[in-house]
Amino acid sequence: MTSYATSMVSYKKTTLNSKPMSEVNSAQNSAKSPQTNTQSNVAAPSEKAQKSKLTPAQRALEFEQLAIPLMPQVYGMALRWTKNPSDAEDLVQDTFAKAFNAWDQFEQGTNLKAWIFRILTNTQINSYNKKAKDQAKVSIDQFEDWQLGEASSLTSMSSRSAELEALDRLPADIIKKSLSELGEFQQVVELAVIAEMPYATIAEELQIPVGTVMSRLHRGKKKLREKLLEYAIQEGYVTAPKPAAKSSKDSETGSL
Amino acid sequence: MTFDCQETKRHVHEFLHNELSAQEVAEVTAHLANCDSCETDYDLENFVNHSIQDACSEVPPQELAEKVLENIRKMQAGIDHA
Ligand SMILES: [Zn+2]
Repeated sequence: MTSYATSMVSYKKTTLNSKPMSEVNSAQNSAKSPQTNTQSNVAAPSEKAQKSKLTPAQRALEFEQLAIPLMPQVYGMALRWTKNPSDAEDLVQDTFAKAFNAWDQFEQGTNLKAWIFRILTNTQINSYNKKAKDQAKVSIDQFEDWQLGEASSLTSMSSRSAELEALDRLPADIIKKSLSELGEFQQVVELAVIAEMPYATIAEELQIPVGTVMSRLHRGKKKLREKLLEYAIQEGYVTAPKPAAKSSKDSETGSL
Repeated sequence: MTFDCQETKRHVHEFLHNELSAQEVAEVTAHLANCDSCETDYDLENFVNHSIQDACSEVPPQELAEKVLENIRKMQAGIDHA
């Protein structure tokens, strides 16, 4: 933990696209490293100049290698947004078809994930849920309580490390459930955290001011943490000094 | 170091999402190096982000993956013949 700040700094300087996108189920490893921040100006060497010279077959291959591995993340988002597997599949198909059509416009080495998710968002807003756009515009967030910086200070150091431990044990279903209960904060949290979109892009996509993106992210994350902690306590994932007899589902995580 | 705890905590998301200026990043990292409380906050938020990312991938049905690939190959064939 002491090296955290240092690792953060060095991390920000490294090439960010080096993280393989294809790891569908090996995600656990990533929890220890800082979040993959992707920004176009710190990306891998660009090959954009060569893009137009690709043969159609090379182009398809490149797309399959780079974009297709993002399908689990895209499908997960589509499922949460449509709440219906059949609509989600249509949305995913449309998204990848559009992405392939526009592939020449993608600059290799820049933030591919954000680029694909942007297409997903546009497709979803335009074709599947016209209401979303209006809803996004309607509520203009009022007072920015997060600006006071009180959010995290509410809890003590020791309870925060307990929270960290609890979070580590929470099953994916509880995290997804909590995320889906965030109301108007949900989409901003998803686009920032999962799609790794820059704030300005999120603002543009949802047609809200950047300040609103910030406040929704802050408030959404705070609400999410509260919910997760609530579930963690409810389900007995919070470490107690003497763990009581637990249900069988806890046995996999070990006794500590 | 000019960022105090309040200011540092307030910037946590902007830091993690790469939305700070170089100057602000320097202020934050300088503060984090000397403040366990803020460091814990940053760890926690970062951890939550990873938990969300990890939890939110869904393996797509095999047919969907196949349909998407088939579609792309069809589109590519269209380009080939153009
Ligand atoms: Zn501090």
